[in-house]
Amino acid sequence: MKVIACYSMKGGVGKTASSVNLAYWGAKSGLKTLLIDLDPQGASSFYFRVQPSKKKWAERFFNAYEDLLKHIKASDFENLDIIPAHLSFRNFDTLLASLNKRNNRLKRILKGFKGEYDLVILDCPPSISHLSEAIFIASDTILVPVIPTTLSERTFEQLLAFFKEKKYQNKKITPFFSMVQSQKTLHKSTIDSMRTRYKTFLNTSIPYSTDIEKMGEHRAPVDTFAKSKPANRAYIELWGEVSAILKGK
Amino acid sequence: MSLLAEKTWRLRKNIEQDQILLALSSKFNTEAVNGVESEYQFYDDFDADLWQSDYLFCGLNKGTFQLFQKNKQISEVRMLKQPRFYWDFPDGLVRDRLKKQLKYRALLPVTTLSICTTNFLLRNNDQKIVVKGRLTRLSPDEQYFSLQVLRGYEKSCRSAESILDSSFKEPIDDFNLRYLLLKNGAQDLQPRKSIKVSITPDMPVENSVRRMAVAMLEQAQLNVEGTVADIDTEFLHQYRVNLRKVRSLLGLLKKVIPLVMLEEVKPKLSFIAGKTNKLRDLDVFLLDHDHYRAMLPLEFSSGLNELYAVIEKQRKREKHSVAKYLLSEDYTANMAYCLSELAKDSTFEHPISRKPVLAVVNKLLLKRYQKMNLIVAAFHIETPDEDIHDLRIEFKKLRYLIEFFIDVLPKKRTHQLLSHIKKTQTVLGDFNDLCVQIEFLTAYRDDSKIEMTKALSAFIAILYLQQKQLRCMAEKTLLSFFTDDMATEFNLLYGALDKGVLK
Repeated sequence: MKVIACYSMKGGVGKTASSVNLAYWGAKSGLKTLLIDLDPQGASSFYFRVQPSKKKWAERFFNAYEDLLKHIKASDFENLDIIPAHLSFRNFDTLLASLNKRNNRLKRILKGFKGEYDLVILDCPPSISHLSEAIFIASDTILVPVIPTTLSERTFEQLLAFFKEKKYQNKKITPFFSMVQSQKTLHKSTIDSMRTRYKTFLNTSIPYSTDIEKMGEHRAPVDTFAKSKPANRAYIELWGEVSAILKGK
Repeated sequence: MSLLAEKTWRLRKNIEQDQILLALSSKFNTEAVNGVESEYQFYDDFDADLWQSDYLFCGLNKGTFQLFQKNKQISEVRMLKQPRFYWDFPDGLVRDRLKKQLKYRALLPVTTLSICTTNFLLRNNDQKIVVKGRLTRLSPDEQYFSLQVLRGYEKSCRSAESILDSSFKEPIDDFNLRYLLLKNGAQDLQPRKSIKVSITPDMPVENSVRRMAVAMLEQAQLNVEGTVADIDTEFLHQYRVNLRKVRSLLGLLKKVIPLVMLEEVKPKLSFIAGKTNKLRDLDVFLLDHDHYRAMLPLEFSSGLNELYAVIEKQRKREKHSVAKYLLSEDYTANMAYCLSELAKDSTFEHPISRKPVLAVVNKLLLKRYQKMNLIVAAFHIETPDEDIHDLRIEFKKLRYLIEFFIDVLPKKRTHQLLSHIKKTQTVLGDFNDLCVQIEFLTAYRDDSKIEMTKALSAFIAILYLQQKQLRCMAEKTLLSFFTDDMATEFNLLYGALDKGVLK
């Protein structure tokens, strides 16, 4: 079983869209996939039309994987299940702060899914916190969507610095450009300069696209309503690169 | 999407799809995906080898064939021509599995099912699929409805179940193609190669021999139609195996059946079997086609083609001749005579005929083993090959004797012994096959066909070398069978009873 986190400390960069579409393609390529929506806003749960349970259960999240089992819901797609987010997930940081061995908690919990799933995708909230650190340790690959702008570049550098300071394995960090508007000079020049400096960027860039925005309207992955559009092709390509990385690990 | 389970019910008569949709729409947003009507033509071999190993093989429309294992489709192939044997399929899973199960057997149509399947999606107010349903319709009177429980939506499934409760006739535990086949006349899918004769240890031995002989002859007769129609070569092979077994049984227990009957029946059966010898030899050679091709370098291929052309032509003639004979009045009369003689009540002409079967068989087994032991003790490096072939026949008789009466012999240890005998017999059989093949091929040498004779000479040379190597192996195998431990085992298993049953 492999664990992928879609993470960025910056909001609105395309984490959820990537999580949803990668989970969809992972499942479609035959991998038993579980998408865990860790963001209390619950956007990826919304995209899959999955409602969380009414009960507040965040405080049991890091106890044992058995506690998570009863919150798994089937999506409308073969091989793909979801643990929807709950508003109470906003308290994860406070909760983790009160627990021993907090950084390893998520990794230990996810181990329980080894027999049932081939791939776990974590849709992460935009923050850098105890939860983020637990995510960094639990994941095999941390996919970081980067909008090719000055601010996003700065955020990415901050993430690298944080990894260095905490001595986390920075080879897990796998950035890719997101919401790219190729007609913009700034986007072009940022991409060129970042690709020169950071060789770990994936080749695929996800374009800025109304089809991705329309996921909210259709409440479904792009492939189901915009099959032949560039946005869909980009996600297919992204999945191709990501799955090759996972196979190599 | 994780499906936790699938539950299926048989529907009451004449329930319409619209009625189901209407009922479910009180609680769900319903959607019926267009029904798919498929005609499944199921195939198996004569012995139902696929069915017995939990496989199903069926042809659908447009030359598509599907293979199921444990009711799950494991592979699909498309074929332009109707396939009969495993080797008609392209390389892949279907060919591999069919090869393992069917061997030389042909696929025969078994039954056809016309199934119309309509899938239902039940959604909640968010338009999320919460239950999946499937209507399987074979006829208005035979319809099934399945509900698939989706993970996290068990409550919705229970709700759908309660809505449809009045339409359900009964729940079906294992709903699948196999279930539908059993419901719709798949009783033909039973193995036909096993002979079931019920004998008890204290049954008079003549009774048991007669019963077995009749069952074996009837079993042989089952293969006549397939042999005449030349469906596959196994029909003739099984026909001959059963005849051989009857002859062997009568020979092994000749002292328990009336001599007059024996003198009439045995020669008739030998004559019938003899009529099929040539065809079987030709079949064996042709079935080993790939093996023979691989043995010779490419330069012999034209000679080999010539040889195969000759043999195939000869087989055609032999096939007609055997079919003609099996359809003749002479054959019918002889077989009917043998059957009626063997089916008569026991006459108990000899005192031994009344003895309990177990006691007689035990004594025979021990005697046979001791006889074979003496033969092997006299073997030396220059013992002629013919003597080894004679011993192979003794092994075959020993094996048959055990197999015929296995139901009354100590089960576990006899099976272990049997497996040891089979291993030894295989080596001796391989050795014999090489000698037979050399003899078979030598007969085709023809100075007017230079290329063919070259190929034959090359074959014979290779086979001769193999025969030399196998001779050593045969000697070693025999030594490893006739050990002190084996002698003790025979004595323990079959020597502990009354010694006076055979004179």
